[in-house]
Amino acid sequence: MNKLLKNNYEVNKSSPVKLLSHHLLAIEGMQKSEIQKLLDRADYFANLDKHTDTKNLSGYVVLNVFFENSTRTRVSFELAARRLGAEVINISLINSSIKKGESLLDTASTLNAMKPDLLIVRHPHSGAPILFAEYLSCSIINAGDGRHEHPTQALLDALTIKRRIGYLEGLKISICGDIANSRVARSNIHLLTTMGAKVRCVAPSTLMPSNLEKLGVKCFNDMKEGIKDADVVMLLRLQNERMSGTENPSEREYFNFFGLDETKLSMASPNAVIMHPGPMNRGVEIASALADDTNRSLIKTQVEMGVAVRMSIIEALNHSKNKT
Amino acid sequence: MTHTIFKSIKLINPATNFNQKVNVVIHNETITNISKDLHLEKFNKNNQTIIYDCEGLTMSPGIFDMRVNIGKTENLKFTQITAAESGITSMAILPNQTPKLNNPSIIDHIKRQSEDINLPKVIVYGAATKDLNGLEISEIGLMSEMGAIGFTNGNKSIKNSLVMRRLMSYATMINRPIIQHAEDEDLSGLNQASTTSIRGEMNEGEISTRLGLIGIPACAEVIMIERDIRLAKLTGAHYHVAHVSTRDAVNVIREAKRSGLYITCDTAPPYFSLNESKLLTYNTAFKLSPPLRSEDDRLAIIEGIQDGTIDAIASDHRARSKDTKAQPFSAASVGASGIETLFSLTLDLVHKKIIDINKAISFLTINPAKILGINSPSLEEEKLADFIVFNENEPNTIKQENLKTGPTPFDGKKIYGKILATYINGQAAFMNQIFKNKIIK
Repeated sequence: MNKLLKNNYEVNKSSPVKLLSHHLLAIEGMQKSEIQKLLDRADYFANLDKHTDTKNLSGYVVLNVFFENSTRTRVSFELAARRLGAEVINISLINSSIKKGESLLDTASTLNAMKPDLLIVRHPHSGAPILFAEYLSCSIINAGDGRHEHPTQALLDALTIKRRIGYLEGLKISICGDIANSRVARSNIHLLTTMGAKVRCVAPSTLMPSNLEKLGVKCFNDMKEGIKDADVVMLLRLQNERMSGTENPSEREYFNFFGLDETKLSMASPNAVIMHPGPMNRGVEIASALADDTNRSLIKTQVEMGVAVRMSIIEALNHSKNKT
Repeated sequence: MTHTIFKSIKLINPATNFNQKVNVVIHNETITNISKDLHLEKFNKNNQTIIYDCEGLTMSPGIFDMRVNIGKTENLKFTQITAAESGITSMAILPNQTPKLNNPSIIDHIKRQSEDINLPKVIVYGAATKDLNGLEISEIGLMSEMGAIGFTNGNKSIKNSLVMRRLMSYATMINRPIIQHAEDEDLSGLNQASTTSIRGEMNEGEISTRLGLIGIPACAEVIMIERDIRLAKLTGAHYHVAHVSTRDAVNVIREAKRSGLYITCDTAPPYFSLNESKLLTYNTAFKLSPPLRSEDDRLAIIEGIQDGTIDAIASDHRARSKDTKAQPFSAASVGASGIETLFSLTLDLVHKKIIDINKAISFLTINPAKILGINSPSLEEEKLADFIVFNENEPNTIKQENLKTGPTPFDGKKIYGKILATYINGQAAFMNQIFKNKIIK
């Protein structure tokens, strides 16, 4: 395992990454080497003093288009783009897609006519960023689409793990909670399995999507079993807004069986770390004290890594577009 | 008085199990002569005889499409004209249009409005429940007297068991079938208000999981059929299941037919041609109801077609505008065009050696007519000249840009077979240039 701690290839962390596509729509389908390079470049950014000049994207226009509420993702993207010297405009279009008159594509092409270089899209419908990419000429980043994917979250989670543990390959990682409704879970499953981690999913059967094991993971309904010897326990938010009231009897019952507390965590590896993409429901997915345990919880590091990861992605998309 | 002669044409007539090369003569709206030897001198006395050289071509009864939605993108006449160009001589339309076909006067109105000697005949289903709300049964007796041929809630299922029982029971008095879109709408999440995000969008399975779309389990179909079969047994009704899409449904229907119940069903080309993997790019042309199912389900539909469990093939035409389809998958409209591709996709089963051509034609003609209690079309002497002329083997590619309705889920598919002419009441409702050139002076 030790050799995995070292990078067995030459990395030039000081130059932008080139990707196969000039969009980041999903982790599924990305190559291992692309992910590696993005993480390495992000690691480089994360190590920089925040006053270091990284502004090499002046004149680059980024539209942050959010059809769904978000604080951390939107701010994180904005900071990342600004640190690269790009112009950022935030547009909140919550509920506007269901307003009569303007279709999503009309909205998109209106925005496109303003000639942005990059559109960062969050949308409640799975696949919406793919539709944007089909019709628009600028680069698209999927900042979360329905229950489909949230690729930048998976990349920042991976960077967080790498910086703490050193490597991904062979790690036992348990993703726990509302898998069915989670785009974070899907992106993490694709990324972590691509990188060679052993991924397990833990959820009540009502929140476990059909045929999930076909994505290369092991599925558990018993949390203690599912996190046994795990190196990383990743929790997901219970997405009540995407449920019909038939998934889960009550929050206290959920916490009893699927909330992370000391007893359940004792099943995991003694050095196991805890992650959560936020926002978290304390006392539902995780005991409050565990969330604040700085020795074990990486929740704040995740947020911090978000900016570095998004810098590496924005820069890479610009680089990939220019060079193709 | 013009006679039209179709010389050396292969005549396929499922009603009499006929498949031979003959000469067919029509006069006014009637077939006057079918024979192997053509005595031209009988006709040559006057100049009004038209002869088409039909060597290599095939004639069969015109298609009876038993499931057509007239959507917002079309009006009835447009659909009739498109249907004629597609080889359809009769079509049954669903009651879920605007206004709803839920009372005798509108049934009468549609019938009159659509009457045109040279366009496909329009047959009307009445709304099984008032306002298609599934709660109160509508005036199915009066609608039946006005010509409604069967009763259905269209693209919504008749959900309430008591309502279904009463409907079936009542329908036995007027000898009409109850047609069901079989789907447990609670299970598929479709009973949720449109703003909630748990409405079923595609077949449930690995692909729905990958795409993050809400799955509709395959059993949502068979659950409804199993209930209905019990009610059909209780009431003695003729129960017809529309667009069957799953293996379990085919199995249950097969069993019920064996037990002697009066149960029939149809399917549509997407369900024997495509499977759910088509959705992997979120292409909304494949957003259908019922959804495209697994490959195993598709194979079961083919088995059902082969062994006769499935009685008919309908287009399930539900054309949609580009605007309502150019949306994220969850927000896009449900349905696809069908009438223009029904013939060639059914013929595809023949080219793939799944069924023979006589059987394929039966699925499109006499079988649906029999289900709906309409006189079976038959190409015999002294019978009505409603037929199509086609080339069985002409290679072709379905292209959206060549179609008048959309979206087609078959864009780019290579097929064989082309409709050259459609005759309704002895007159050409459609004839393409290739056929016009077949005329012998």
